[in-house]
Amino acid sequence: VSTNLTSRKAQRVPTKAVSKEIERIDQLFYTYADGSSSMIDPEGIETLCSHLEVPHTDVRILMLAWKMGCEKQGYFTLDEWRTGMKALRADSISKLKKAFPELVQEVTRSSNFQDFYPYAFRYCLTEDKKKCIEIPVACELLNLVLSLQFRPQVEKLINYLKHQNEYKVINMDQWMGFLRFCNEINFPSLDNYDADQAWPLILDNFVEWLRASEN
Amino acid sequence: MNPQRKRIPKIEPFKHRVEVDPKFFDKSWKKLDDAIREIYNHNASGLSFEELYRTAYNMVLHKHGGRLYDKLAENLKGHLREMGKLVEAAQGGLFLEELQRRWADHIKALQMIRDILMYMDRTFIPSSKKTPVFEHGLELWRDIVVRSPKIHGRLVDTLLELIHRERMGEMINRGLMRNTTKMLMELGSSVYQDDFERPFLEVSASFYSGESQQCIERCDCGEYLKNAEKRLAEESERVSLYMDAKTADKIANVVDKEMLSIHMQRLFLMENSGLVNMLINDKHEDLTRMYDLFKRVPDGHSTIRSLMASHVKETGKILVTDPERLRDPVDFVQRLLNEKDKYDEIVSVSFSNDKTFQNALNASFEHFINLNNRSPEFISLYVDDKLRKGVKGAANEEDIETVLDKVMMLFRYLQEKDVFEKYYKQHLAKRLLSGKTSSDEAERNMLVKLKTECGYQFTSKLESMFTDLKTSQDTMQSFYANLSGDSDGPTISVQILTTGSWPTQPCATCNLPPEILGVSELFRAHYLGTHNGRRLTWQTNMGNADIKATFGDRKHELNVSTYQMCVLMLFNSTDTLTYKEIEQNTAIPPVDLKRCLQSLACVKGKNVLRKEPMSKDISDSDAFHFNDKFSSKLVKVKIGTVVAQKESEPEKQETRHRVEEDRKPQIEAAIVRIMKSRRVLDHNSIVTEVTKQLQARFLPNPVVIKKRIESLIEREFLERDKVDRKLYRYLA
Repeated sequence: VSTNLTSRKAQRVPTKAVSKEIERIDQLFYTYADGSSSMIDPEGIETLCSHLEVPHTDVRILMLAWKMGCEKQGYFTLDEWRTGMKALRADSISKLKKAFPELVQEVTRSSNFQDFYPYAFRYCLTEDKKKCIEIPVACELLNLVLSLQFRPQVEKLINYLKHQNEYKVINMDQWMGFLRFCNEINFPSLDNYDADQAWPLILDNFVEWLRASEN
Repeated sequence: MNPQRKRIPKIEPFKHRVEVDPKFFDKSWKKLDDAIREIYNHNASGLSFEELYRTAYNMVLHKHGGRLYDKLAENLKGHLREMGKLVEAAQGGLFLEELQRRWADHIKALQMIRDILMYMDRTFIPSSKKTPVFEHGLELWRDIVVRSPKIHGRLVDTLLELIHRERMGEMINRGLMRNTTKMLMELGSSVYQDDFERPFLEVSASFYSGESQQCIERCDCGEYLKNAEKRLAEESERVSLYMDAKTADKIANVVDKEMLSIHMQRLFLMENSGLVNMLINDKHEDLTRMYDLFKRVPDGHSTIRSLMASHVKETGKILVTDPERLRDPVDFVQRLLNEKDKYDEIVSVSFSNDKTFQNALNASFEHFINLNNRSPEFISLYVDDKLRKGVKGAANEEDIETVLDKVMMLFRYLQEKDVFEKYYKQHLAKRLLSGKTSSDEAERNMLVKLKTECGYQFTSKLESMFTDLKTSQDTMQSFYANLSGDSDGPTISVQILTTGSWPTQPCATCNLPPEILGVSELFRAHYLGTHNGRRLTWQTNMGNADIKATFGDRKHELNVSTYQMCVLMLFNSTDTLTYKEIEQNTAIPPVDLKRCLQSLACVKGKNVLRKEPMSKDISDSDAFHFNDKFSSKLVKVKIGTVVAQKESEPEKQETRHRVEEDRKPQIEAAIVRIMKSRRVLDHNSIVTEVTKQLQARFLPNPVVIKKRIESLIEREFLERDKVDRKLYRYLA
């Protein structure tokens, strides 16, 4: 699904134009990277964002991370940087900026979105062994990632998550459930929601809450 | 003819012409005509049968069969018209009689005529496909007499009028009725049905419609049913006496419909006398009648069944939710048992043990018993009560076996059998440890019943409780056998309980008196010597002690709990102690200590200690004195009690919480079992299967099942199917 992985076989001897491009990409990398760790750290990202004139909490940065295949939240490695920039055919800030609209379109195409959406969740897992993200973080992420396509659902869902106190964290299964819910269930009628189906319990409770608040 | 060849002789007709007398037919017919007239005039004795027969025979032989037949028909018609006139002329009650008489005459005549014309019957009739003489004679009777306009209506009306009068209580001539209906039947079943039966049924329908309307205004349900029963019996008798047997079912249906079916709802629901009233007041006779009568009525039994079921559910619901009833668990259960007895009797006596009724009853009981979630606890308390006290001198003289069997019936209705198990274990433990069971055999009996009902797992821990006690006895024997040295100190009797088999109790601190410590340590050493690797923990919140106490010059033996013993022994060295001192010395937790002190100082007749101040509650600043003024009529005074009681609210919550926690792994195990064998399954199917697997113990909550599934997904035992997210998949 990911379009930004280059296989070893594809690495031919670069042409002059290509090698210039790589040089420029690398150079750009080092302007933001932290000297000691040779990674772009959260500070560097902030700087990058200000140059891009995009807030660093913007979903486009997350999409960029996805395009790069970033593994650790808040840090870009050189390899990841190269991958992303090459795929976007950008070797400068201006080119990168211009590439954003197309990137957004690409990500929101449903086949890619199915991959991007769980990526967004995993990206937020702060520690290695952790499998859940806290409710406030989940709400932020939902807003970021889904509100463009499903504003009404997301608004209600975030409201519910903040009000309820049964769940303190969200796991991947529930996270995927939210997307499925938005895609499959008629909103706001909810007439095709069946609690006897395999919906995660948190969504059963959400629907109950919605229906109760309507009366 | 050739004599050497064998040939069967053949008879050939005359080859010459036989001369026939042209007046032959008329002469012959005249003979017959006259004879028939004589027959109808009751003058047959003078006739020669042989001659008449021969006459007819010859006529047929000479091929006059057709003419003879037609003449006969004419002749008969003539006679019949005459008879018809006579019948018409009859007045009032003589009408039927006259008809009967003429009918009898006609039959007799027909028989003779048939005999005379037998040859024609046998030869001419079949080949010409005409109706035989006798039958034809009947047809003519039917058409000319019975169905004559002047007779027909009058006949039917007369019959129906008589039946009506009989229904109203008059005596009528039944023989005449029978003969008349018989006549109609002989004329053909369609004659009977069209001319009599149909109008009869119609008239009956309107009669019973009216009767039932009147009756239902006047009577209560029981009386009405009695009347219906009477009417049904009457009609049945009527049919057997003077109608065709096939009419029996038809008239029964009419009565059923008019009297029973139409008014069914109104009858059943009649205030103060309907079905519910009968059930409440055990009106067995009325109920039997109702059951029998409504057997044939469509939806009769099913209506009775559902009314009974909802009534039982309602009264049951009141029983189990009435706060008054809930105060005494034993009484609560006794009422349930009484209710069950009552309805069992009704079903057996009035509803002939009908299985469908029994099932409806069971469903109703199951429904309302589970409305109160304390039912399992209360049933266990009831059993506890019976096993402690036995049933000697009980109001009903059932023996313990019967009582336990009845309790088992209630047990079967419980949906939360695992809750019952928890409580039963607790109560059994208390009984065994305090030695308060009235019959060891009864205890074991109960276990066998539970095992039969629920399987080995249910009772294995309970059984090991018994084993523990037996083993303890043996251990005590060997302890005292091996004990050398002075046996001056207190004797102990230890019950060693296997952890896990007995209901868990967290054990608190408690400082045993030095006299006890010594011997208990000796015991511990002895036990651990023979049982390596085990650990013994004294359960000081249980157990009791016998203490010899001297109050002034009175000697008593006090039976007290362990805690109480610890407290009392302190008073060997001093007469007064403050609360704080006692607490410090004994290290008993405050809640238990306060309860303990209350039982020693604040209970009338058991106040071996005197409390200062004399209030009922224990406060930290209280002081306690040895009460040398204590007295009792008994030498042995019991102060500690370990009777099982119904739990307080917080205890109940605690138990309920533990039960819920216990259920989680059971549900998960069931889910994993099911998924392991089915591999891929949708949500609903899992819920159904899990419920099926666990229903012998409890009814799992679908929401809890869903939660467990999600937990199993998180722990990667299961996953959602990637293609169809309605399915779950087992992860090996």
